[in-house]
Amino acid sequence: MHNPKPSQGAAALSLFCLHCLGGSAREWQGVERELGAGISLVGIDLPGFGSAADVPGYSVAAMAEHVAAQVRAAAPGRWMLAGHSMGAKVAAVVARQAVAGAAGLEGLCGLVLLAGSPPGPEPMSEERRADMTGWLDGDAAHRATQAREFVAANAVTLTPEARAAAEVDVLRANPAAWRAWLQSGSREDWAERVGVLPLPALILAGAEDGDLGPEAQRRLMAPHVLTAEHHDLPHARHLLPIEAASTVARLITRFAALPPGETQPPRIPPHYRALLESGRTSTALRDALLARVAPEADTRRAWLPAGAYAVLEAALDRVIPQSPHARIDLAARIERSLAEDAGDGWRFADLPADAEAMHQALLSLDALGRLLHQDGFTGLTDAGRDTLLHRVADGQAAAAAPGLFDGSQMALWFQDLRAMAVKHYVGHPATLARMGYSGVASGGDGPRKSGFTRFGIGEREAWEPVALAGEAP
Amino acid sequence: MKLDTMRRHGLGEVVDAVVIGTGAGGAPLLARLAAAGLRVIALEAGRNREPEDYLTDEALSADLYWRGERLAAGETPQAFGANNSGIGIGGSTLHWGAFVPRVDARDLQLRQDSGQGRDWPIKLDELQPLYVELEAFLGVSGPAHYPWQPARHYPLPALPRNAPAQAMAMGAAQLGVATCNAPAAVVSQDFAQADGPTRLACVHCGYCHQGCRNRAKVSMDTTFLPLAVARGAEIRPGCFAHGLERDSQGRITAVLYRQDGREHRQLCAAVFLCAGAVETPRLLLHLGLGNRSGQVGRNYMAHVATQVWGTFAEEMRGNKGWPSSLMSEAMVRPRDADFAGGYLLQSLGVVPQTWADGVARGRGLWGRALVDYIDRYNFTAGIGINGECLPYDHNRLTLSDEIDETGLPKPHIAFSYGENERRLQAHATRLMTGIWQEAGATDIWALPRSAHTIGTCRMGTDPDDAVVNPFGRSFDIDNLWICDNSVFPSSLAANPALTIMALSLRTAAAFLDR
Repeated sequence: MHNPKPSQGAAALSLFCLHCLGGSAREWQGVERELGAGISLVGIDLPGFGSAADVPGYSVAAMAEHVAAQVRAAAPGRWMLAGHSMGAKVAAVVARQAVAGAAGLEGLCGLVLLAGSPPGPEPMSEERRADMTGWLDGDAAHRATQAREFVAANAVTLTPEARAAAEVDVLRANPAAWRAWLQSGSREDWAERVGVLPLPALILAGAEDGDLGPEAQRRLMAPHVLTAEHHDLPHARHLLPIEAASTVARLITRFAALPPGETQPPRIPPHYRALLESGRTSTALRDALLARVAPEADTRRAWLPAGAYAVLEAALDRVIPQSPHARIDLAARIERSLAEDAGDGWRFADLPADAEAMHQALLSLDALGRLLHQDGFTGLTDAGRDTLLHRVADGQAAAAAPGLFDGSQMALWFQDLRAMAVKHYVGHPATLARMGYSGVASGGDGPRKSGFTRFGIGEREAWEPVALAGEAP
Repeated sequence: MKLDTMRRHGLGEVVDAVVIGTGAGGAPLLARLAAAGLRVIALEAGRNREPEDYLTDEALSADLYWRGERLAAGETPQAFGANNSGIGIGGSTLHWGAFVPRVDARDLQLRQDSGQGRDWPIKLDELQPLYVELEAFLGVSGPAHYPWQPARHYPLPALPRNAPAQAMAMGAAQLGVATCNAPAAVVSQDFAQADGPTRLACVHCGYCHQGCRNRAKVSMDTTFLPLAVARGAEIRPGCFAHGLERDSQGRITAVLYRQDGREHRQLCAAVFLCAGAVETPRLLLHLGLGNRSGQVGRNYMAHVATQVWGTFAEEMRGNKGWPSSLMSEAMVRPRDADFAGGYLLQSLGVVPQTWADGVARGRGLWGRALVDYIDRYNFTAGIGINGECLPYDHNRLTLSDEIDETGLPKPHIAFSYGENERRLQAHATRLMTGIWQEAGATDIWALPRSAHTIGTCRMGTDPDDAVVNPFGRSFDIDNLWICDNSVFPSSLAANPALTIMALSLRTAAAFLDR
């Protein structure tokens, strides 16, 4: 039932890619060749690696600052961040800055995490850490042997060219950067500072990887993102962009632009679900909130004609823009609630009954598109839809035809539409989790409710969640 | 509430009174009449609940509100439903905010002082002892020292201030505006309620408007109604009164009502209409009764209830704590006012769906700006007012030509601010914006709104100019009494519920003395 977005709206997604330990921007070349149209890949060499081998600053914070500077310089519109292994940890830190509103980082809309090193300390045996730390020290022969061993141990199958290129990257690395990651960067604990990122993530693991394999990705990486789409790549180990370039490119392409009409519902992050399941939330409230997440809640009870429903969907996408990876079906919920719910006790006298008003307004909106922009509402670009909706909000859009709404009626209806949209949006537990809302856990079932004991300025109970956007605690 | 052992009356028994509505107007007088030994029945359109049933979520609380559709017209059409209209045993006190200021003497004589509005046929001296009695019976929590009436004492200690209250206190102090902890009909300590279960101390959950789950907040079903039942009153839930039978002299002999789709007729010697400022005039206009003055439905009023919101660097989490825990009477008569009357200030925390409704409707945000602002919920706090609204003949409730599920015409309420309301709103918006600036807020914006339903059956001394006498008795039908906010001749700046309860006790006393 979705309408393809106008072509210009789908263009220009920048994908900034951060490599693994001993890698470089070059490791993404195979992926880049097979990425779908409209995605432009920008590989970044992290300090101490590739062409940035002489750039200092090997801490996670310094690497994140290096990446942020490059993103700012590129001034992307919509962008995603991909991180491979070590690069994933840096990506998570940059993403936190972006969602906290750091200037120049606006427009981040998703993460791709490949065999990622998690925001918390990377799981690695001390023996292995000690062994690897000295690999790039010593003479050329020793270094070449270690590079060969490193690449071989981290991939299932590689073409000879890919193997050679990967070994060259390892040897290009600044040994100080190599040691710094193993001794320090990989141990840094950013878990709390990264928190839960209000972003969708594509999380890829090599089925045959070791410490950062499928289990670790689910346990250590997924809790840090709002929605996670997991894929475990068979016959692959750790160098996923190299050994599984085609698969990676295909999955990223699909993730970056879901096929028209395909969306995913938001999930309740694990920490918020745990809160709802705690004794602070009454059984009846918990059941009712979880019912809002059930698939049936997004099922249409179709009474609006298809054309009008398409206009409703298109308008709601402008009122509450949502990621296709975490999309509450507001149109379905509003249509259902207009059909099934008892009213809310009032309506504007200048509008007909709520359901009838909705139908008439949608027809009017479509007619206004044709009148003012030479195309029905769903045929307009996002910018065209916004221009029209601004005129509607201002009471300046009169369809001027029998049976259609005048300007003031359209403005009143648009007010009602906004109210309906936020009601379903804010009432959804995934949104409440985004907001860091604690009021869902203010009571419980016992005779004496739990309530709150800390409610002054800046005061928070130990168990209260925080907003996902903004600085994590 | 517990009704299973209450005294019951037969339909053919001529009871002393039928009370229509169980909110702040109906419940106190029901208890008072029962205590005097009268046979009384209350009819309530809504259902009976237990506090444990409430859900701390706005959408799940939708059935606390009167959902029969009302048509909002005029230049400042008012929202009904969750904004101001309750249903169920306890009426609007199930969802009210429980802020209980007393009326200021000057508000009762606004016309005498300013030439605007209309004076009450009652003096404050008559209400004061009733306020004291009510505050003791209900367990009102309030400040130890009330700046605007030093002699006033509240029975329970004030509720603690939440973050919005703390921020407002700071900002107001910078501007020299006095504030104090707000009096709350919410018990700050466990409270032994006469004839009802113990009311447990407030736990600061913030969901007053969705029904209080541990009885801390006063509602009629946890206070006056258990008392009424203990004294022999009968309460019938799910009963929608739609007709009054009269004898040849025009006196009422029975109330017609519908329960579960079945029609009933209760014989009675008197009727108290306590259905609120919309349903009360709607029934009278529908029946063509009590309107010899032509005043039924006229002078509809709603408080100017503008809010100003700001965003703070620190978390405010206004959903926590009693939502309006700070107040000020400093603007009851502002020195620089260019309008008649004045307003009360309150700090505000608002739960998220209600808050977002204001953002989407009142601030008019949509698109990315809306989504981003919603993400900042935990950092926002508000201040609100309750301001005088003058009575105007043209602000009027009439019957529309649409019939609703009750068989009655839907009410049509035309409501437009006049110049006085616009000036008051502008004054308050400037002040509240200044308070938030002083408190360090950014992204400050105003949400224009109106609150409460007032007027339409005003009391007075002249039968040609008022619907009821100063005790709530109809000038036209001597066994018909009205007690709810519809009898208010003027809006007052104070929130109405405590004064409605005081009028209810007063009306009961007048009935017993008649």
